[in-house]
Amino acid sequence: MNDISAIPAGEAADATILPFPDLEEDGAQIEVRDGIVRLVGARSQSSGVAAFPARPVCPETGARDMAPEHFGPDATLYSFSTIHVSATREVPYSLGYIDFPEGLRVLAVVRGESLACDMPVTLRADGDDWWAEARA
Amino acid sequence: MTQAVIIGAGMIPMGKHRASSYPGLAVPAVLRALSSAGLAPADIGSVTCGHAFGGMLTGQRIVKDLGIGGVPVVNVDNACSGGATALHLAARDIEEGRTDAALVIGVDKLTQFGGGTLPLVEEDPEVQRGMVMPALYAMRARRYLHERGETPDILAQVSVKARRHGVANPFAQFRKPVSAEEVLASRPIAEPLTLLQCCPTGDGAAAVVLVSEARRRRMGVAGARVAASVLHSGKATTGFRHMLRPEITVHGAKDAYEAAGFGPESLDMVELHDAFTIAELVYYEALGLCPEGESAALLRDGATTYGGKVVVNPSGGLLAKGHPVGASGVAQAVEAFWHLTGQAGARQIDSARTALTHVTGGGISGMDHGACTIHLLEAVA
Repeated sequence: MNDISAIPAGEAADATILPFPDLEEDGAQIEVRDGIVRLVGARSQSSGVAAFPARPVCPETGARDMAPEHFGPDATLYSFSTIHVSATREVPYSLGYIDFPEGLRVLAVVRGESLACDMPVTLRADGDDWWAEARA
Repeated sequence: MTQAVIIGAGMIPMGKHRASSYPGLAVPAVLRALSSAGLAPADIGSVTCGHAFGGMLTGQRIVKDLGIGGVPVVNVDNACSGGATALHLAARDIEEGRTDAALVIGVDKLTQFGGGTLPLVEEDPEVQRGMVMPALYAMRARRYLHERGETPDILAQVSVKARRHGVANPFAQFRKPVSAEEVLASRPIAEPLTLLQCCPTGDGAAAVVLVSEARRRRMGVAGARVAASVLHSGKATTGFRHMLRPEITVHGAKDAYEAAGFGPESLDMVELHDAFTIAELVYYEALGLCPEGESAALLRDGATTYGGKVVVNPSGGLLAKGHPVGASGVAQAVEAFWHLTGQAGARQIDSARTALTHVTGGGISGMDHGACTIHLLEAVA
């Protein structure tokens, strides 16, 4: 950590004042090991707040202490919708908010028959593509 | 009345940051402003965010990433004056007692347009006829050279000074000096303006934290008191307009000096809207730094650089520092804060006590500019 007080603020364009290259696609959103799919997120070491996608700053406190953490594969479907008109992708498709027990909510494409609130779901993947599937 | 004081500031180095989102640009600046103020995200009572091209809820997209929420967040577009307008609103919020600690953000990302002139409002009739910002300033420049019997060399001298100042600013987009010959030999953009007489396309973000003077005293920190914060809109005309006498800046400056109780003769530094070289010369006169007709001499005599009467654009100005439109008004305040609190490093203006910042926002027909924001700042410790 730089001691920023040692040099005048207007003189010091140090590493902590550079913009985050957050639009760069640097690394996958998922990790697949032994057929188990997990989301690659992060957690603040001071506040314990979890985030996906991974990010450099804690969304609760602004602390720069986010460490990588994997989430999944199991989650709970909180709510969902099948979309028939969309400006962003080909229809129809289903989206849902899924809650991980580690304290993280993620918007996911959801696949499966007879979707219902509070049903268990599991992360699945095909290449870089990932979704939540109703657990049998 | 309660007075507003800037006690923290931060900005990212301006440049082409294509890999960064709006929050990716602004969050580091906000974190720095907070840490330099000695405040936490939870201490902030209101947020104003100036931008022109950030899209919906730009301010919320930024502050939600660091834990600020449940407080008013206002997004403001006033073209190039958006960031300064956000500062104006924050100062009013403090002065009128609505909050005790306000965060001001200015941010824009111009690389999203791929280069060229700033996209203007397509429904404007002059824009439909081909108006672009350099064209408007070029006509000011043509008229200036015609009326004042000057040559384009005087325009080039503005860039030479701006680039020389930018060399000492690690936050400037351009940090290499240029000669008048290089400026005049660069490719034509809108005659008589050449490439090196135009501010660059770039991305940037800046943030400041304001508190009430009472809170600053309790905290025991140095700051930059907002001695005046004046926002004017332009007045349209369908008839004659004197292009060397921008009424919006003249009136705004007069109001600001009256509110502050000190005038242009007391200024140690000025950050003014030099989007194109000609603007600096015109604004010397409009801001009262010299009598009408004497701007060329003021520049030539070195009165507006280090060692002169008043240092104009110590940051390098929009020409060298860069001009991500909505960010500029806040970036000017950051620069002023650093000088007034002795934190400007190699480019520090000796014992700077007072500063003026000035940004206009243009691009619509019938007006000199649509918006003009002027702040007078004074060191307090």
